[in-house]
Amino acid sequence: MKSRKSNWIQIGILAVLGLAVILSLVIPQVFRGRASPQLLSLSVMLRDTDSSGWTTARQGMEQAADELGAELRFLTLTTPNDSAEQEILFLREIEGGAAALVAVPADPSALSAALEQWLVVCPTVTLESPMEGAAGVVSPDNPALGRQLAEALLEDWNGGEVLLLDTAGPCSGITGRLEAAEAALAGAGVPARRIQTLPEEAALWVMAFEPAATQRAAEKKESEERGFALYGVGTSAAITACLERGSITAMAAWSDYAAGYLAVRRAVEAARGEAGTLSALPFSILRGEDIYAPENQKLLFPIMSSSSR
Amino acid sequence: MTVFRRLAAQWAERYRKMSIQMVLSLSFTAVAAAGMVLMGASLVWRFSAASEQMVAENTQRVLAQANLNLDSYLRRMMRISDTVYYRSIKNMDLAEDDLTGDLSLLYEENRDDLVSLAVFDGQGGLVAAVPLTSVKRDAAPAESGWFQAASQNMENLHFSTPHVQNIFDDPDYPYRWVVSLSRHVQLTRDGATEGGVLLVDMSFSGIEQVCRGVTLGGNGYLYLIDGSGELIYHPRQQLIYADLLTENNREAASYRDGSHQEKFRGQARQVTIKTVGYTGWKLVGVVPTRSWADSSLQPLLFGLTLLLFAIFLISFLNFLISARISDPIRRLERSIRELDRGLAGVEIEEGGCYEVQRLSHAVASMVSTMRHLMDDIVRQEEQKRRSELEVLQSQINPHFLYNTLDSVIWMTESGQRQEAIQMVTSLARLFRISLSRGKSIIPLADELDHARHYMNIQQIRFKNKFVTEIEAQPGTEGLYTLKLIIQPLLENAIYHGCASAEDDGVIRVTAYLEESDLLIDVADNGLGMRPELAASLLDEDRPANGSGGSGIGVRNVHQRVSLTFGEGYGLTIFSEPDEGTLVRIRLPALDKEAADCCQQGEVL
Repeated sequence: MKSRKSNWIQIGILAVLGLAVILSLVIPQVFRGRASPQLLSLSVMLRDTDSSGWTTARQGMEQAADELGAELRFLTLTTPNDSAEQEILFLREIEGGAAALVAVPADPSALSAALEQWLVVCPTVTLESPMEGAAGVVSPDNPALGRQLAEALLEDWNGGEVLLLDTAGPCSGITGRLEAAEAALAGAGVPARRIQTLPEEAALWVMAFEPAATQRAAEKKESEERGFALYGVGTSAAITACLERGSITAMAAWSDYAAGYLAVRRAVEAARGEAGTLSALPFSILRGEDIYAPENQKLLFPIMSSSSR
Repeated sequence: MTVFRRLAAQWAERYRKMSIQMVLSLSFTAVAAAGMVLMGASLVWRFSAASEQMVAENTQRVLAQANLNLDSYLRRMMRISDTVYYRSIKNMDLAEDDLTGDLSLLYEENRDDLVSLAVFDGQGGLVAAVPLTSVKRDAAPAESGWFQAASQNMENLHFSTPHVQNIFDDPDYPYRWVVSLSRHVQLTRDGATEGGVLLVDMSFSGIEQVCRGVTLGGNGYLYLIDGSGELIYHPRQQLIYADLLTENNREAASYRDGSHQEKFRGQARQVTIKTVGYTGWKLVGVVPTRSWADSSLQPLLFGLTLLLFAIFLISFLNFLISARISDPIRRLERSIRELDRGLAGVEIEEGGCYEVQRLSHAVASMVSTMRHLMDDIVRQEEQKRRSELEVLQSQINPHFLYNTLDSVIWMTESGQRQEAIQMVTSLARLFRISLSRGKSIIPLADELDHARHYMNIQQIRFKNKFVTEIEAQPGTEGLYTLKLIIQPLLENAIYHGCASAEDDGVIRVTAYLEESDLLIDVADNGLGMRPELAASLLDEDRPANGSGGSGIGVRNVHQRVSLTFGEGYGLTIFSEPDEGTLVRIRLPALDKEAADCCQQGEVL
């Protein structure tokens, strides 16, 4: 009896050791498979006709894609802010196998309504404007931005009507800035009026709430030698140059590089089913004399690596 | 301590219950496994230390090369600065000569690395600059860090940290990142010397290219800081600038050249520092410990597999060897256990190694000796018992002797001389056969003769109340029997069978052969008895019966026969009330030779 029990114990020990040998061979293979996650295909959809205004954001996106194992496709529209075209492109990208999308929605509400069912299949992260059903939004606190920009204007304001450039249509993020600025001005008793394009008549105060509108207004001011004070948003080199030259009195700036990086990172996380959170991007209100402060240099002039130039 | 003692006691208890094979195999396996694990751990430790050392050496080698390249790049910039200063500025009177031409020439030769070359007077006024020839309207060069560093420390060349050069008026607003090399220079104007600053703006991409090409093992990377830890180059510089990443650059500035271990953001990493000669900048190589640990994981796991397989193999061999060693001991133990249970004919196998063979041999020898001793004791006991019974049996009942002699006297006195002679003769013959020269086994004929003489005497005494027939059937001639076994039965037949019977008794003694046994029947036609009583007469535990005979004589005869010839031999009693009794003696049919052997005390 004792001998039989000993035999069973010995067989048990040998079985455990044999199992350990097999496991030590199998486990590395399992982890080797897990170690190299699949390369994700991500599409980045803008609401502009070209991506020149997104150069810095693109750098951040590419950095994130490189780190997290994703490849990016950049798509622009043939007509600016064409929501219908965005929908078509969106569907095409999903059919093309995009794992996730980063979008600057022209009309977040319309896009969300049209693609509601697809947003589950293909996680989407938006820039500028929040969108229902999206995996996240990367943008500054738009109402706060609009309010602080208005406050910057109020510091200089000495009378006269403020023109608010309402150029983004249904783009809720931009509209949010505009509405917050409008409310701040109204609160301060400053007359303000929304306009679609800069009027030809003399104006003293103009506010723009998206980079493209800011740049167009600044260029128009320079070319036509207009005398209004312009308050805008953006961090592109052209806008910064306008700020330095005084064409823009003050502007709200944030790190487009960080925005691009965070958007792609969250999109990759969502595509891989991982949880992630996004918080509002920090922003600053800059005037011309602030440009070359060390911290603002880092914000406004991203280091363009030689490999990406 | 108590727990340790309890564990030790538990182990001791288990050890006591374990088989020798289990103890051997587990001990060998545990020692072998411990040795292998120890060896494996030692190898892993050595491997890990060697890997760490190798990574450190590799990083130092790479950093040395990067340092060489960076140093070469910076020296080239310094040579440009020297060239401007010693070949142009020193040889020129700014009131008469234009410095721009020389600067342009140098700029064109090094335009891939340079952003601008400029000379300023002591108040920050532009003396000459290429490729941009004017400064911005509101620019204040004298307030720049590079200008002040050069003005305050005139002997040295100064390298700034990366910044966007903002003093030159460029219609394209390119906002280039530069590293400024500045130095104090002596300007000559109208023969008089005055202080100034020479600025060489190096393109940041030059430094970036030098550093970007460096690859470290695993997920390692290299970054560049100035003496105060300010970041000059980092592969993820913009992420750090955007506050999406942090780097331990301030801490790294305090490290000396060489390799260090640090923990940053919960990650252990090896940091290697190399100071870039003249500038005080530091190249920092970072290799996360996990990266080389991960790369070492596969060989380590393979090593673990080999280790486990070796332990498996050794365990298997240990089990086989221990079984081989312990098997003879186990068989010996089993044999002893069977002996202990009293099993006869247990063989002690003498196998295994020398000590076990010796032990088995000793046990076998001991068992054999014990058996012989026990047999001797049994034999002696039997002999003793038999002797006692024989002594008892051979004693003539004094009452019988007295009655016989009394009868002889009476017959002599009454003139029955012939009968007296016959009785005395029979008595003498009875004694002679009883003595038989001390032999216990005598010829059957003598035993029957003895019975005949006994019955002669008893017939005379009982006045022929019974008839005796003694017969030896053919084939029994020459056979031997135990002496004095019939007389007690005859005595019983007379006293308990015929003496008190009303009819004339017949006592018949018949000797005959049955197969290899000699059977002697003593039958009477007396009172008889119940079969149960007859069956119990031979029972040793039968209580004494006061009313009749206790059967001691019959039992003694039975025991003597059984002790002498074995359990299969002895008496059998058949009886029925009023019909008589038959007592059958079963003996082996002994010839003279067998009887002699038996006489010497050998058991057949």
